[in-house]
Amino acid sequence: MSMIQLHSVSKVYPPDYAGVKDVTFQVEAGEFLFLCGPSGAGKTTLLRLLFRSEQASEGQILVDGRNVTRLKGAGLAAYRRKLGLVFQDFKLIPHMTALENVSLAADVVGVPWRQSRRRGFRLLSELGLKDKYGVLPPALSGGEQQRVAIARALVNEPEIVLADEPTGNLDPERAAESLRLFARINEEGTTVLIATHDPRLLRSFDGRVLLMHQGRLLRREDLEPAASAT
Amino acid sequence: MKLAHVAFVAGRVARSLRELLWTHLLTAGVMAMTLLVFGGFLLIQENVGQLVRGWGQEIHVFVYVDGNVDRAAATGLRMRMERYPEVRAARYVSRERAWEDFKSALGSQSGILEGLDPTMLPASLELELYDGYRSRDAIAGLVERVAALEGVQEVEYPEAWLERLRLLLMGMEWLKWVLGGVLFLVAFLIVGSTIKLAIVARRDEIEIMQLVGAGTGLIRAPFIIEGMIQGLAGAALALGLLRAAFSFLGAELLAPFGSLAAGAQLTFLNTWQCGELLVLGWLLGTAGSVLSVRRFLA
Ligand SMILES: Nc1ncnc2c1ncn2[C@@H]1O[C@H](COP(=O)(O)OP(=O)(O)OP(=O)(O)O)[C@@H](O)[C@H]1O
Ligand SMILES: [Mg+2]
Repeated sequence: MSMIQLHSVSKVYPPDYAGVKDVTFQVEAGEFLFLCGPSGAGKTTLLRLLFRSEQASEGQILVDGRNVTRLKGAGLAAYRRKLGLVFQDFKLIPHMTALENVSLAADVVGVPWRQSRRRGFRLLSELGLKDKYGVLPPALSGGEQQRVAIARALVNEPEIVLADEPTGNLDPERAAESLRLFARINEEGTTVLIATHDPRLLRSFDGRVLLMHQGRLLRREDLEPAASAT
Repeated sequence: MKLAHVAFVAGRVARSLRELLWTHLLTAGVMAMTLLVFGGFLLIQENVGQLVRGWGQEIHVFVYVDGNVDRAAATGLRMRMERYPEVRAARYVSRERAWEDFKSALGSQSGILEGLDPTMLPASLELELYDGYRSRDAIAGLVERVAALEGVQEVEYPEAWLERLRLLLMGMEWLKWVLGGVLFLVAFLIVGSTIKLAIVARRDEIEIMQLVGAGTGLIRAPFIIEGMIQGLAGAALALGLLRAAFSFLGAELLAPFGSLAAGAQLTFLNTWQCGELLVLGWLLGTAGSVLSVRRFLA
């Protein structure tokens, strides 16, 4: 069964700006795919609909068989605990250290303190932040903050990872490293959806790419020449 | 809620208390002042009440008899009075007995009575009353009947001030709740706004917690616990201050009552009342924070 299913999903921002228009697609469990498109295409909006920080104006979103559009309260919280989210603006808590930020997500799930720190530290190390675990986000570079955000998204070994521009602030080497991490957890079974406006990320990628433009999803036929043009 | 969650909530509470230390202290201070006023009333009420109850036991009506009433006639009077519904017991105090009592009351200074006539004090009947008949009206009625009896020269009884003291106590009870109520409202609102401040200061953090899947309980609990702690801390502080004030000023407070309070013992609030004050603080803190959380953490 498909892990993620969208049927004619639209999001209209008041008064009448359509951030996402009539989007339909499916993602299989264990798939790794990119959502690509220029700035303002609606990638972030689409992800926000997926983790229900925005409510779709129209259409239906099913994740693992659950109707996400109807979720609220405890059900919504439980749903989000299955997701690993990387936000475009990181959303780190400035007065908590890198490690505390990462383990926060584990604490919320009820992982014992020691274990949540251990997991957080391991991930930070893997992302090259071994020496920065005790540093507050404002004292970290953009790329470092981004990696802390990635570590937080992965700390609970989520079923689905939704990452918004997770390599936007990283140099090519770090970007490749982070992508390898995403690829590894994907191999372990996690469904991964990465939104980006950076076509360079797709160069060595042979999976599926969803292309978005002005709130619409372009069909595969439209994509092929675009991808080869880069 | 898992054990790990308890630790997590505790950590967040500790962090918030640390980061907004002064705000929290101020709130606990206001709470303490409120409960101090309330507790002060309680303390004064308790002690004055005890004093009055003590005097109440002592309210006797003294009936002085004519000089020509002999022992037999006095006994007749006594038996008659003992049949009155108000009278629990009547005691005959002869002239000699009165003289002895007077002497022993003077103690070491009884020497000044040397050479005086031991029969100069009148004989009397001392009436002890039942609990229900110690009000001014009841006593007045009794006095009227007794005074009309033959052989009775004079009737003496404690003045109406006792009754007035009771009214005063009742007034204090009212004042305690009215003033207390207003102050409670203030404390409640201040706790509420402190918690609101804590919530606003953590707005981004709360959003992030929600995004990583924290449930409502996990997000609300730390704020409600903060409110409880403020209330409890305030109450504990109030009790401490009250205790200190009691130790330092207790004796002075008794002074205006002069000899009336001689032998009276000031008591602090009992364990039960201290507990009541703590629970009151706890309730106020909890109510204030719950209200805030409901309003600002939708
Ligand atoms: N809260 C909002 N209210 C109104 N319009 C919005 C809101 N959020 C996004 N939009 C609009 O919706 C469109 C899509 O925005 P979105 O953030 O999804 O783009 P994006 O593809 O993520 O772009 P980028 O690559 O720059 O991150 C934009 O034109 C944006 O102005
Ligand atoms: Mg975006």
